[in-house]
Amino acid sequence: MQALHFLQALARIARAAPKPAHSARTRQIRHAAYASMAHSSRSSRRTWSRALLHRLRQRQRPGRLLTVRRRVRIVTPITSRPEEPARAETLRQLVPGGRGMEYCNLLEETADYVQCLRAQVQLMQTLLDAFSS
Amino acid sequence: MDRDLFSHIDTDLNSISYLSLNYDHFDSALSSIVSSPSAAPTPPGPNDSLVLRELIGRLGTICNNKSASVGAVDHSANTSCYSTPLSSPPKSSLHPLPNMNPNPNPMPFAPDPGFADRAARMPCFGGGPHMAMSGQLSRVSSSQSLMDAGMTGGVQLEGELPVRENGSGGRGANNGRKRKAGVKGKGKEASLASSGTVNSKISEEDQSAKRCRPDCKAGEKKGGTEEKNGNCSENNNGDRENKNDSDSNNANAKPVEPPKDYIHVRARRGQATDSHSLAERVRREKISERMKLLQDLVPGCNKVTGKAVMLDEIINYVQSLQRQVEFLSMKLATVNTPSDVNMDNLLQKDMPQACSGSMQQPLYRSAFSYPNQPQVAPLNSLLATNSIPNLGMQPSSNLPFDGFGNANPQIGGFWEDDLQSVVQMGFGQNQEAALSSQSFQGSGPSSSDMKIEL
Repeated sequence: MQALHFLQALARIARAAPKPAHSARTRQIRHAAYASMAHSSRSSRRTWSRALLHRLRQRQRPGRLLTVRRRVRIVTPITSRPEEPARAETLRQLVPGGRGMEYCNLLEETADYVQCLRAQVQLMQTLLDAFSS
Repeated sequence: MDRDLFSHIDTDLNSISYLSLNYDHFDSALSSIVSSPSAAPTPPGPNDSLVLRELIGRLGTICNNKSASVGAVDHSANTSCYSTPLSSPPKSSLHPLPNMNPNPNPMPFAPDPGFADRAARMPCFGGGPHMAMSGQLSRVSSSQSLMDAGMTGGVQLEGELPVRENGSGGRGANNGRKRKAGVKGKGKEASLASSGTVNSKISEEDQSAKRCRPDCKAGEKKGGTEEKNGNCSENNNGDRENKNDSDSNNANAKPVEPPKDYIHVRARRGQATDSHSLAERVRREKISERMKLLQDLVPGCNKVTGKAVMLDEIINYVQSLQRQVEFLSMKLATVNTPSDVNMDNLLQKDMPQACSGSMQQPLYRSAFSYPNQPQVAPLNSLLATNSIPNLGMQPSSNLPFDGFGNANPQIGGFWEDDLQSVVQMGFGQNQEAALSSQSFQGSGPSSSDMKIEL
């Protein structure tokens, strides 16, 4: 699912008018990579996948002043979580959607996120090798 | 030496261990503990002494280890060895206890007051609620019951003490924090509670709530202190929800577990004073369980122990993966420019290629005559060989089949009958037909375009 989505997105990007701007294509490919990760069958139920898609859509439309979607969740403020290690905040920033989660859920999401990231990296590496050979 | 005794039990345990923890000591010890009570319950005769001796010896060996699971093992071992006669036939064996309360037999427990004091102070000892109870009577009564059951429990327990002390010294660092906090409280009871909490924290057993319920039952029957009774009632209320969850978990994992869990409940008696600490303990166990999962995912994390360092490793790994994605996307952007036309072809050819490698090759070569075929073919083979195993996702390998099958009516005469058979094969394996069809519809028009081109 992940591979298929990514390949389709790549095809779409390639088919689109090949912009000379290298950075634009890079951004598009990166966007496609994260989108395919979020659309993976394994992770479609995950919090990070929804948050990632939300973030991607937000970036695509920079003119939105009002975010309609709000995650209504009563979570203890970040400052009052003394039992977590100090690096938990960094992890929250890394994993999409990590801010609203409790620590144990954050760990679970991280595991899934790492799995998808690894798969995506392997896929891109394989494609790169295939294209460059 | 003790390992020989329990080696045969280890295999049994592996089949019944309900917690997916990878503590070697924990598993082996727990297995021994769990299976020994199962063997012991009905005939409380000669088996018990052997079981108890084995358990105590096992505890001794485990106590000397410095792993975090030691506490759990000690805890459970301690619990089980005492719970065996008490909880497995819950009603029958517990009855004699109240009778013994008023006149504890001092013979095997001559140093009992000192023993209880030491037990209270030692964290690993404190895990055994019946030993570290604020009421020494309950402790004595438990040992009484054991003795009455025909075991030379007293002797064995005293022999256990020095071993325990050794173990407690090793784990003092872990428990010192909570132990001091407890000692500052209400003296012995606080220390008991805190040491119990520590043990609960260290012991990586889930279903602690489950265990608490029979513990409370046993405690009440033993006629423990009022505190214990109060705690037990509280625990019962708080435990029920947890118990249901853990029961459901148990039912899924091992149907045999629930009776065994009752044996372990007694370990929790001394520590869990309210539902809050229970929930906290469950939460801590969940967190540790997830950390183990992450440890398996992140390469090179096996040698690292401790949550802080592991968290750093995880963060570094996630950052490196994200950086790799950025870097690869940049490289793909540079590489992709000359291969615009190939992408469609690749997508069309890639799906069937993924399902069966060599069979499709001649078909493709005949159907499609692309100028840049040499570039495409290696990609096909690469994708067929690499992407599927790399991704390790069954659905992804099945999707091409479905998409292919769905595109069939559109492409029609494009594909030979051989492909049809391949598609049928893919359909048989597929589990996400709907999903793949939806995803593949997008490339349908492109396939028709290809047809026109050819």
